[in-house]
Amino acid sequence: MFAPIQNPILNWILVAGALLLSILVLVVLHSSPPYVRRWVIVGLTFLVGLYVPLEFYIPRHNFLTVFRDPLGDLMRVLAGFTIGLGIINLVIVHGQHILRRTPNLPFSLAFFFGFISMTVVGLLHRYKPEFLAQKPGPGELAFWSAANKVFFEGLLLPLTSTVFSLLAFFIVSAAYRAFRIRTLEASLLMAAAIIVMLANVPVGTWLTSWLPTEGFLKWLRLENAALWLTTQINTPAMRGILFGAAVGGLGAALRIWLSIEKSFTFGGQ
Amino acid sequence: MEHADWTTIYPYLVWVLTAIIGLGIALASAGKQLHIRRLPAIDAIEEAVGRATEMGRPMLFVPGLAAVDVPTFQAIAIAGHVARLAARYRSRIIMPVTDTVILTMAEQVLREAYAEGGAPDAFHPEDIRFLSSDQFAFASGVVGLMNRERVAANFFFGSFAAESLILAETGQALGAIQIAGTPSTLQIPFFIAACDFTVIGEEYYAVTAYLTREPILLGSVWGQDVCRILLASIIFATTVSQKFLPEAVLKFLTNIGV
Repeated sequence: MFAPIQNPILNWILVAGALLLSILVLVVLHSSPPYVRRWVIVGLTFLVGLYVPLEFYIPRHNFLTVFRDPLGDLMRVLAGFTIGLGIINLVIVHGQHILRRTPNLPFSLAFFFGFISMTVVGLLHRYKPEFLAQKPGPGELAFWSAANKVFFEGLLLPLTSTVFSLLAFFIVSAAYRAFRIRTLEASLLMAAAIIVMLANVPVGTWLTSWLPTEGFLKWLRLENAALWLTTQINTPAMRGILFGAAVGGLGAALRIWLSIEKSFTFGGQ
Repeated sequence: MEHADWTTIYPYLVWVLTAIIGLGIALASAGKQLHIRRLPAIDAIEEAVGRATEMGRPMLFVPGLAAVDVPTFQAIAIAGHVARLAARYRSRIIMPVTDTVILTMAEQVLREAYAEGGAPDAFHPEDIRFLSSDQFAFASGVVGLMNRERVAANFFFGSFAAESLILAETGQALGAIQIAGTPSTLQIPFFIAACDFTVIGEEYYAVTAYLTREPILLGSVWGQDVCRILLASIIFATTVSQKFLPEAVLKFLTNIGV
């Protein structure tokens, strides 16, 4: 339905027209009274909320399916507009720290250093990897591509892995608090945890290896007891919570679609 | 994206559940009195806001990791209610986000909530912060914020992943009062272990109804409960009837996805 336009001049005219139209819509929305904004949001939410299930529930490729990809593109364009707002937000917050020389100044300087260097290196790597640098030898990366690799693989990845690895220590401290025997529930929790933990290490299975593998007593073997706990107790409980949450999600979606949840239909003030 | 398979029970079931929730909303609109049970975690929100005010420290509200989806919308709605309470005491809420669309939404909701709470000047747009869209960069940013701002109360509502425990344990170490709510089943145990109060599963979607007591919202919660009873009955009935039903009926039920 929406085939790409091959004529570059027409393309530019359409892009400029779309930009002008977007600005015009923004100006009209901003200058209109709150109740008008509210009704625009309510109306659009209802229409889009109606389109998606209708397109899904009408079997096979139907008359609504052709709009699916353009709508997806529209969502991406709208999200793209907000990325600029995110950057402005970061620059304002950290710029204020630098201008006011607050105690957080070093962190804000680190932000600007990281932000500017990653942007510059990323752009040069993408468009001019040999800019102001020697030509790379055979099998070598161009200077800015190598710099980009250092920034991503040498800095960003180890940093994120470090934060992730902190989780191991946090699990221990949280488990310590959760397993302190104060109530019947905490005692049951700890007993279950010990069984499951022991069943997952060789010494645990060795401890009860003398028990028979058949008959009633086989359930006292740690690996069987752990399996029973995870499949017969844990899984049904998790599924129960998931069922409840899924129905709750359906109700919440319905409330948002019908704009009953007033927090999103802005314009109260 | 595929389309609905009308040879199975699922599309019919979704419409039936939607109709039941719609009926709940209609009944509530018609004036039927509905009751919602106590949720101690939500009652504690006011206590947390009060404590942060007494200590003269800000609060932190994290709306999860996800972009625009139903749990995040719900989190933003809850943030609006927390902000209305905070406005009453002229307290500060810091809200770090991972998505720029959520940034704009959150800013608007909190601005209006502070205005409705009678303190529009207590709202600072720079307190709604876009940190990063990367999971662990965001987590380290939030941990840094908690430590630097010495937050007195933490609210974690929304979809979370592995960073949930990093955030909640840092808050616990700081001595902040912590209230969490998530539909992410894998993160619920972490929040229960590290937070003072936790809202789990379907309770998460009942929070706004509980806070506002608006009849229409209560109606939707009533409808959801009826849906759960219906689903549980189907599960129970099909499980028990497996022993008695003829082979042909069982085959038909399997074919339609029961």
